[in-house]
Amino acid sequence: MGRIKEKESKAPSLSESHTDYEYAATAATSSDDGFDEPNRVPVHKRKVQLTNGEAKKKKFKHADSNVKPPTLEEIKEIRDTRNLFHSNLFKLQVKEMLEEIQLKPKYSNYIETWIETFTITVQELKDGLLDTCELEVPLHLHKKSFNFQFLTPTSEPKLIGAAATGTLLGPKIVVDVALEMPAACFQHDDYRNLIYDQKRALYLATVASKIKQSPAFKADQFAYNYHANNPLKPVLELTPASKLGKYLLLRVYITAQSEIFKLSRFLPWTNNIRPSVFGDKWNEAETLPATQHYNANVLFDLTLAENQKLLLSTFTGRRNFQEGLLLLKVWLRQRQLDVGFSGFSAHILAAYIAYLKQQRLLHQSSSSYQIARTVWNQLANSDWTQGITLSQHQPHQLITLAGYYDVCFMDVTGYYNLCANLPLAVYKAVCAEAKLAVELLNDVKVNSFSHIFMQTSPLYTRMDNILKITNPASVDQLLQLHVQPHVKYDYANYAHPQLLKLLTDLLQKGLGQRVHAILPLEVPCSPWTVDTKAPVIGRSLTLGLILDPEHAHEVLDKGPATNEDANGAAEFRKFWGNKSNLRRFQDGSITEAVVWATATDAPSQKRLIVRQIVLYLLEHQLQLEPSEVQYIAGNLDVVYSLTPSFKVAKLQTKLKIQQETDAEALTPNVIHCYDALARQLHSLGDLPLDIVSISGISPVFRYCEPQPLLPQARLVSDRIHAGQVLRVIIQLGPSGKWPSDLGALRSLKTAFLIQIGQQLKEQHHLHWHLCKDGLLVLKQGYCFLLELAHSKELALLKQQQTERGVTTYVDNPASRELERRHYILPRVSGALHALHQMHGAFGPTVLIAKRWLAAQLLDDGLWPSIATELLVAHLFQQRQTPHTTVSPQTGFIRFLQLLAHSDWSGELFLLNFNNSWTEQQITDLEHSYRSERDSYPSLCLATAYDQQHAGRLWTSNNSPSKPVLGRVTLLARHALQLIESSLLSPKLAFVRPAQLFMASGDGYDLVIQLKPDLLSNTLCYDLGSPFLPFSQRNFRLPLAGCDQLAKVVQQLRDAYSEYAAFFYNPHGGKELAIVWRPASEFAPKPFKVNELQACTPCVGGKVQVDRDTLVEDFKLLLKDFYLRVCTPQELKREQREHNKPKRYFNGQGESEPDKPQKKKKKASTIPTNAKKRLMKSKSMNALC
Amino acid sequence: MTEIEGYRVVPLRMSPDAKHCHSVYMREHFIRLMDPNKPKGRTLFLLNVPPYITEESLQTFFKRVGNVESVLFAEKPGRDETAKWYEGTDVPFSNVQTPFKFKVAYVVFQKSISIGRALALESLDLYNSSGECLIKTGMELWHDDYENNYILDVEKTQKEINDYMAAYDKRERAALAAAKTSEADPDGWVTVGKDGRNAGFEQKESVIGRIESKLEKDKKTKELKNFYTFQIRESKMQNIVELRQKYEEDKQKIELLKKSRRFRPF
Repeated sequence: MGRIKEKESKAPSLSESHTDYEYAATAATSSDDGFDEPNRVPVHKRKVQLTNGEAKKKKFKHADSNVKPPTLEEIKEIRDTRNLFHSNLFKLQVKEMLEEIQLKPKYSNYIETWIETFTITVQELKDGLLDTCELEVPLHLHKKSFNFQFLTPTSEPKLIGAAATGTLLGPKIVVDVALEMPAACFQHDDYRNLIYDQKRALYLATVASKIKQSPAFKADQFAYNYHANNPLKPVLELTPASKLGKYLLLRVYITAQSEIFKLSRFLPWTNNIRPSVFGDKWNEAETLPATQHYNANVLFDLTLAENQKLLLSTFTGRRNFQEGLLLLKVWLRQRQLDVGFSGFSAHILAAYIAYLKQQRLLHQSSSSYQIARTVWNQLANSDWTQGITLSQHQPHQLITLAGYYDVCFMDVTGYYNLCANLPLAVYKAVCAEAKLAVELLNDVKVNSFSHIFMQTSPLYTRMDNILKITNPASVDQLLQLHVQPHVKYDYANYAHPQLLKLLTDLLQKGLGQRVHAILPLEVPCSPWTVDTKAPVIGRSLTLGLILDPEHAHEVLDKGPATNEDANGAAEFRKFWGNKSNLRRFQDGSITEAVVWATATDAPSQKRLIVRQIVLYLLEHQLQLEPSEVQYIAGNLDVVYSLTPSFKVAKLQTKLKIQQETDAEALTPNVIHCYDALARQLHSLGDLPLDIVSISGISPVFRYCEPQPLLPQARLVSDRIHAGQVLRVIIQLGPSGKWPSDLGALRSLKTAFLIQIGQQLKEQHHLHWHLCKDGLLVLKQGYCFLLELAHSKELALLKQQQTERGVTTYVDNPASRELERRHYILPRVSGALHALHQMHGAFGPTVLIAKRWLAAQLLDDGLWPSIATELLVAHLFQQRQTPHTTVSPQTGFIRFLQLLAHSDWSGELFLLNFNNSWTEQQITDLEHSYRSERDSYPSLCLATAYDQQHAGRLWTSNNSPSKPVLGRVTLLARHALQLIESSLLSPKLAFVRPAQLFMASGDGYDLVIQLKPDLLSNTLCYDLGSPFLPFSQRNFRLPLAGCDQLAKVVQQLRDAYSEYAAFFYNPHGGKELAIVWRPASEFAPKPFKVNELQACTPCVGGKVQVDRDTLVEDFKLLLKDFYLRVCTPQELKREQREHNKPKRYFNGQGESEPDKPQKKKKKASTIPTNAKKRLMKSKSMNALC
Repeated sequence: MTEIEGYRVVPLRMSPDAKHCHSVYMREHFIRLMDPNKPKGRTLFLLNVPPYITEESLQTFFKRVGNVESVLFAEKPGRDETAKWYEGTDVPFSNVQTPFKFKVAYVVFQKSISIGRALALESLDLYNSSGECLIKTGMELWHDDYENNYILDVEKTQKEINDYMAAYDKRERAALAAAKTSEADPDGWVTVGKDGRNAGFEQKESVIGRIESKLEKDKKTKELKNFYTFQIRESKMQNIVELRQKYEEDKQKIELLKKSRRFRPF
């Protein structure tokens, strides 16, 4: 410092400018080694400043504001950010979220006062006999009569759980209060035969009835519920009458002192429910079966106080611990793994934090983020099957205890297993999620915050297949015939875990490697009023299966070799029954084996192998008919299958094509044909330049074409007719001789194409036509469109001359389009094809998604189909879930979820193929995206191959436009709601495709009916149009390369989009639906030369747009093509009035289409009603 | 006979019995800076021409008031609008079409007397004596378009290509010869091409950029970055400033996100 002062005295004006820097620099150096006293510096600096004159201060004001010397806290914070978080952003986001979920003081105050009044009320309760209780006892047990007297609680009620640890979490805040039964209520052998639980329930009922009469609680709503879907644990739910009741719920637990019974009575190997309770006989000589799960149930109450003490000591007063737990709770709840009897509850999380603290893996001063991270880290690498314990002096060997449970986490007393009801699969799922969370946090390239905390991913969206057994008769049958009695005693006859155990064991054995996990999907049970009987719950089962992509679709299950392991073979044979056959394999082995399909089966059929196995096992082992259970897999796959009304037999082709096929199964044929063509092209000898690369860019080359592609294309009177044209890009070898004039270059390209065509004809006898877009080639029933790509063309398109005569290359729409088609799309297409090879569900997911969007009348012009592909690819690429799905249906549900919950304006979808975006590039892109949001399209997609165009290549501001995005979000939400309700309800069947894949016809102003005989039907399974009944099908092939409907709609949009929006179904739609823009567009306006489009003069020298004139224009443009123009209301009325609606074809084949129509109508009643509201509300208006 | 702001308003009828018609606004074309393609006194200016109207149809129609020299379209009135409208259509094999929008039209007559006659018209009837529309639309148009424009006749195309290439080669040779002469033009300027003895470097952005960046690099290598203490100090200070700036930026982002309520997990 002294040195600086010296300098100062010599040249004050100059050093002034330096001093500032000096301080910053000293402070900065101190930041490197951490502990220094930077505080001294600012003091010094202030002095200097004071000695200087006002003018100088002003001069350096700017520099000053930027370069304040950093304080110790700031340095610490910055370093914290760098070391712990990857960016400030994550840290700030976490901070914001914590602030958002922070409990508001009005709630905590209310809870405080409530507990006070409750304590007073409870202590004033009088002892009494049971008959004073007027309410139903919330327990479903066959009761034995015994003496029970209500005694006033001796200890005060206490807050437990989240309320005690200060980690209450909204939106519905649930405050748990424990009330201890006095010891005098129990006799010494009450621990046996469920007497404890009955007393507990009676006590709860008495408390409820007595409190209900007290003035302080009279107005509140009383209800019973089961804690964690456990029928032995009824709780009282109080909803306050005050305004807070909307968001607040108080639950009263009844517990007991731990001293009333010896804890050792509840060791896992002891029996506390004698078989006689259920009227069963037990051989005296045999040891009684262990009731470890029931024991844990009782121990939960007895050890509650002790455990609570430990949690309090860990969490009270430590904001960092509380916030850490809150973060974890948010994370857990978003994944819905904490639901129900078998859930991984937040209580376990809290105990685990206490455990980690005990193990000194967490420090008192760890930040909340560190806590969450450590927990994830530890959880990811943990193995609780061997058992861990919170107890300092574990009374019994952990390994012995662990043998009785799937997962073992002993509490502070060492007797109670916190994870007693947790199945292994759920624990494993939580571990996998934790591992994923850590990976996301470590990945610098993803903004993990929203993945971890914000995105809800309901458990069912992670399941590939779902099995539902809800039929009461079959449940009874399972319970009575197949469940082992000791399991029944163990769970005190609670059906759900028994079913779960029975089926998981069976399926696990039968499916083996095919399945990653079998998880129960539970729905929290709903409360019931205090004066009704307790409902019976758990008499249904929903199992979710996560499949292993590598093994799930194997066609063969091989048993042990007969000659080596005769016993094993016999057992195998017994397990599989008649399905098992002795087979001789190519390697010479002779083994028992079960064959489920043939290797050549279509992929969609192979995806159903697991379903086949499960249904067979249920039938063979448990005598459940397939009709008695619901197996949800591949229900929506039908939408991309070939329509049954097209008869494949009529097709002339050498390929073997079955009638029941789909777009996915037909794709390999196309690709084989394309490969053959590519070989032929490569072999063309006499071209002046070699062909270097050939790449297909049509969606079918990446398994993304939802309309089945049959080898139908043919030559009719010298014109190629084809349903679809497959685009192929050819690149030629380099040559310096290409002209540098666009016209000349294109002329030469065309000449080249002619030459290629001529040679193909000569050498390979292929038909070809030259057309404006390129070369149409007919091969084996497919029509290809070859295009030449040349880099010079791109350069010439970009070329511009600046004013100084310098040549520059600037992107413009034309060049961008060309670059996309010729250079980027081939690479993206390749990447997506590779993605499909890796995840077989990618292609079919895209197919379903595209079909869905098309069915909502969103065509390519409104929603580019490549956007669908890239969004689905994004889903498959990013690691949102531990397992990528193997089922297209689940993929589609996730796609809907993405559409429904994405924040379009804030999210950038980046497909980092091959990881080629560097961290810096991603940050830059995101930065520019955030700061100049308006310069990007409303849906922003970027891939690894279009870095210089980042985000502007695949979508534009018009497709999809903001209103379309909004509508898609709305539609997706609605569809998801339908799916979710049908999945989770025990009664409903899974949604039929007709419910999802048919848009509502409401909200449109005009419908232009087109002549059905001029438009060919789609080859997809057709679910009908929202406006008209099925018409005569027409599978005539159009001329190759002209999609008239698409073209005319494009024209209409170009010319009239200021006045109307146009919709049609690109997959065989035969109507054009029109919505007028708001009336303001049609109001009279003053005469202005530049705003005169479509206007006619009206009164007062003003002009206005006339709708009728526009309709005349539409008619003119669609001359000979439209049948009539009418409103949807008219159509509807017509259909109602005439039983047989007016058909625009002549009678034949009427009887056939009639049937599906009826079905369809029935099916669509539910969604259309709901949808009607939806449409009318916002979306349609928003579109204008 | 309607007139509005000096424009004559006439209905545009596509068929004899058309009820709802577009109104076309006509007047004589007149602006101060005249375009040689739209000569003064002989050009009729039409506003609000529907998208499907073609040059030929207008030409055919206006023949009844006098011989038409040309018909030009533009998106809106303005100096270079016509050029913009037709941009790119002259390049062969490039699929560029004029936009399909409401437009304005300039009809250039051979004689100025035709203007007066045109302005006296009661309506623009784009149909012939038998009531048939002059413009092809709908199926007819698509079919025509497919046969004549989409599918190309090979021999004709080949001939077109040969002709175009021959013309192009000629142009190129002429340009090359002109570049080699290196004679001064009347103003005394000599064009220096990229060929020849006195070739300059190519006037391309990339080439210039490369040279500039090389100069920049040379300058940098000569400069010492952390030689003086103050330089080290400054770089450290810069570091802190950047960190702070980043922090502030992130904070702003959060503010933005907060507005869109993205922090409620449920």
